[in-house]
Parts: sequence; C-alpha cells; structure tokens
Amino acid sequence: MPEETILEKPERKVNNGSPDLALLEEMSRTSKLLVRRDLELRRVNEELDEKIKLLENDEIRLKEMNDILEIRLKARTRQLTETVNDLDRQVKERTEKIEASRKALSSALDDLKREKTAADEEREKTLAIISNFSDGLLVFDNQDVLGLINPEAERLLHIQGIDMVGRAVPFLAQVPELCAIFTTIGADMPEVSRKELELNANLVLEISVVIIRRGGQQQGKFVILHNITREKTIEKLKSEFVSIAANQLRTPLTSIKWILTSLLGGDFGELNPEQKDYLAKTNQSNERMIRLVDDLLNLSRIEEGRYIQKKERFSLEELIDKNIENIRFKLKNKRVDISFEDVQRPVEVLADKEKINLVVQNLIENAANYSREDGRIVVGLSKDEEKGETTFRVQDNGIGIPEDQKDRIFTKFFRAQNALRAQTVGSGLGLFINKNIVESHGGRIWFESELDKGTTFFFTIPLNKP
Amino acid sequence: MEDEEVLAELLQRKLIERGYEVTVAPNGVRGMDNLRETKPDLVLLDIIMPEKGGFEVMEEMNKSEETNMQKVPVIIISNSGQPVEIDRALAMGVRDYLIKAKFDPAEVIEKVDKQFGIDSAQNVKS
Repeated sequence: MPEETILEKPERKVNNGSPDLALLEEMSRTSKLLVRRDLELRRVNEELDEKIKLLENDEIRLKEMNDILEIRLKARTRQLTETVNDLDRQVKERTEKIEASRKALSSALDDLKREKTAADEEREKTLAIISNFSDGLLVFDNQDVLGLINPEAERLLHIQGIDMVGRAVPFLAQVPELCAIFTTIGADMPEVSRKELELNANLVLEISVVIIRRGGQQQGKFVILHNITREKTIEKLKSEFVSIAANQLRTPLTSIKWILTSLLGGDFGELNPEQKDYLAKTNQSNERMIRLVDDLLNLSRIEEGRYIQKKERFSLEELIDKNIENIRFKLKNKRVDISFEDVQRPVEVLADKEKINLVVQNLIENAANYSREDGRIVVGLSKDEEKGETTFRVQDNGIGIPEDQKDRIFTKFFRAQNALRAQTVGSGLGLFINKNIVESHGGRIWFESELDKGTTFFFTIPLNKP
Repeated sequence: MEDEEVLAELLQRKLIERGYEVTVAPNGVRGMDNLRETKPDLVLLDIIMPEKGGFEVMEEMNKSEETNMQKVPVIIISNSGQPVEIDRALAMGVRDYLIKAKFDPAEVIEKVDKQFGIDSAQNVKS
C-alpha cells in the first residue's frame, strides 16, 4: 500500500505546474523524490526483505514447530496406540484370566459335585452296610443319644427305630425291650467285648460296645448285637452229644474194668502168668479208654460252662507224691528216673482237689510219655509267700516241642507231630483241660521247651492263706 | 439196684463171698419192692436205670412213712460223675458217691465194709 501512495503523487503534480522550471523543479524534485523514493523503496524493500526473512524465519519456525508437533503427535499417537494395545492386551489377559478362573471354578464345582456324589455314594453305601448288616447295630452320639438303629436291631429287639432315635440312654433303659441290654453292658456304656445275654430261650445275643474315635477324639459309640443263638444251640447239641456218647461208652468200659480186675484179683480162680500178663495189659488199655472218655466228658463240661469247682484245703506236695508213686512202676519199664526236688513243705492250697490232681497227673504222664529210654524227670514245687502262689514244675529231657507248634500246644485236639510219632495214644485234650482248670483257679500255665532236649511245664495256683 | 447185669452179678458175687446177704434189682421199681420186703441195712444204688432212676428211689425213700426206710444208708454207684449230680445226691443224704469207672469191685467192697465199721483187711461175717 505505501508503494501506491508514493507513485501517484508525482503524476498529479506534473499535470498541475508550469512546464519548464516548474518542470525542472518538478523533475528535480521528482528525481529527488524518486531518489528518495528509491531509497525509500529500497528501505521498504529491505524492510520487506527483512520481513520476508522474518516471515521465512517464522515459517521455518512454524515448520519446526509443526515438525515438533508432528513428532509429538506421532509420539502421542504411538503412545496412545501402545496404551490401547496395552489395554487391549490387558483386557485380553484379564479375559483369559477370567476365563481360566471360570474354568477353574467350574472344574472345582465339578470336583465338588463329584466329591459330593462320591460322599453321597459313600454315605449310601455305609447306610446300606449298616442297614443290611447281619448284626444289630445301634449308633450313639457323644451325648449317648441314639442316632441310628438298623433293621436287624429292630428285628432282634422287637422295637420301632423311629420311636427310639433321638432319645438318650436314660429313656432307652426304661424301654422293656432294651432294659436287659443296658443292664448287661451298663448304662454308661463302657467299651465291652462280646458279653453274652440270653434274652429268651430262642435268642442269645453277644453284645459289644465299640467307642468310635477319630483323631483321638471320641465321636460316639456303636452297640453291636450279634445273634449267637444258632452257635449256642449247636454248641449245646454238640456238648450233649459228647456227654451222651461218653456216658454210653463208660458203661461197657466199666463192665470190662470190673470183670478184668475181678479176674486179675483171682475171683474166678488162679491164673497162669501168661494169662495174668495179657489181662493186665488189656486192663491198661481199658484204663486208657476210660481216661479218654473222661477227657471228652471234661471237655463237654468246660464248653457247657458246667465245670464247677469244689474247693477244699489239701496238701499239694502229698498229692504230687501220690502221683509220682503211681507212675514209678510204668517208668521203671522204660528205665526213666523220676525225682521230686526243691520242695518247700508244706504247700497247702484251697482248690478243687480232683481237678488239680488231673493237672498234676496229666503233666507227669506227659513227661513220662514223651521221655526217651534212660530219661530223667524232675518234679519241683516252690512257693512264693509274697506273691501268695505256688509253682509246680515238671521237667523232662524228652523229645521236646517243635518251635512252630508251640503256640498251639494248649488248643484242644492238638498233638505235636513228634508227639504223634512217639505216642499214638492221646486225645489232645489234656493240656486244654489243664489250662482251663489252672486258669479257673486264678493260676497260670506255661512251658519252656527245646526240640530233642526236653520240656518243662509250669503252673501256679494261689496259696491258701490262713 | 443196678441195671447193668455184669456189674450187678460181679458185685453180688463178691459181697456174698464176703458174707453179706444181697438182693439185686435191675431197676428202681423192683428195688423199692425189695426194700419193703427185705428191709436191708444198706442200699447200693445206681442213678441211671430204666423205669425208676436212683434219684426217684431216694426221693421215695425219704418221703416214706416207714421210718426204717428213711434211715437206710445209701451208697451211690454211678456211671456219671457230674458235680451237679454228686452235690444233689449228697444233699439227699447219701453216705458215699462212687463213680464206677474209677473204682473196681474190691474198692466198692471196702466202702461197704466201712459203712459197717469193718476193717477190710479182716475176714468178717455179717
């Protein structure tokens, strides 16, 4: 715009002045003006240039700014992209995690379901076992409250479980059908094993109380009712059979014994030595038969629980003396020596004399039967006043008891292999009966033995204290 | 009273030899008849017999009106040696209880002699 102003002014002056001087003047003025103008223009130009430069600079600066901005933008964009990506990734990760958790949760749920099913099955099984258990079962909790009763128990006791479950012992003990049970085991239900209860002629129960413990903690109690009526009946029949058979066997054996002893005693005339010898042997065999039958009878009495004791005071050493005398003759033939040593006389006991005699006789006879020729039997009797008991022992140097058969020695009808070889006769009942007799007197019976070296049997019975 | 013929015969023979008068019955019924007729000084009695057993005989004797019969001493000679039976017999007042298989006839005679206060070593007449 300034350019326009400068250029227009001179033209108008030219048109309005005198031509020569004025013109010259005009021209000079004009030229001066022109020069000035030129100068001015130059300055303006310079200014412009500068301005341009400035503008250019500005432009550069702008450009630079732009560049910076762009860089920043790009960076920002990148950052944003990264952030977005990051978020994306995070979202993805989270989603995966959630998915995994969901899966885990669902599988945990599945596990739980499976476990629950398994537990349910287990519970069903347990219940089925309890329900179908052949024994009657009553399950009590820690407060002695009846939690469960199985059908067999209901059947055995003629009660309805539904009336009883949830009730505690004091109430149950009043129920007529249950009262006998609590009388047998005790109302506080301590742990008991196989107590017999004859509810009536047709029902004999064996009652056990088992305390349920888990991790040392008492959880409750089981009362188990085992029906042993059948076993009892069979046992009784068996015992009766043995008893009848033995009694029937005894009659003819007695007749034989009486005839033989009469013959041997010369009641029917003198016998020649050969006849006497054979009759004596026959008599010995018969006596053995009588002993066997007696053993069988004793066994049936023990099993029937009828092995009643008749206690009396007597001298144990005298009883042993007699038994040793009785066997001496038999031992002489076998050339076995017998002696009675270390006796602390007198040894008086209060016991069933007949049965203790049976034990002593049996142990000494065993020692004799399982001794070899030229053997030696030592009988001993000691007493321990402090313990209040006397110990009988009989030691032989006979065939001994094989190691693997030692724990069966006291079972009925058992005979060790080497004993069978040495002596075919023997019921295998002697030691079983001995054990019963000794233990029913509150004593103990045991042995020490080495195969082929010999055996020592011991038994103790309480001393008769004045 | 003894149902086992051999035993009865053997015992009778030995007792007679020893000088006793003996009547034998094979069961309790016949035995009770003999008791009333002969009024013996001692009864040897078996437990298990047909018709009437030893315990029934003893019950009848104890219940009897005839005082003599209540006083007749009884020795049981039985096959069975069950403690319950021995206790029952002793409670009924028997003098002795002999288990057949554990005695021979000579020992039975000893027990009989003892009832009459006789030492078996000597020969005696009744």
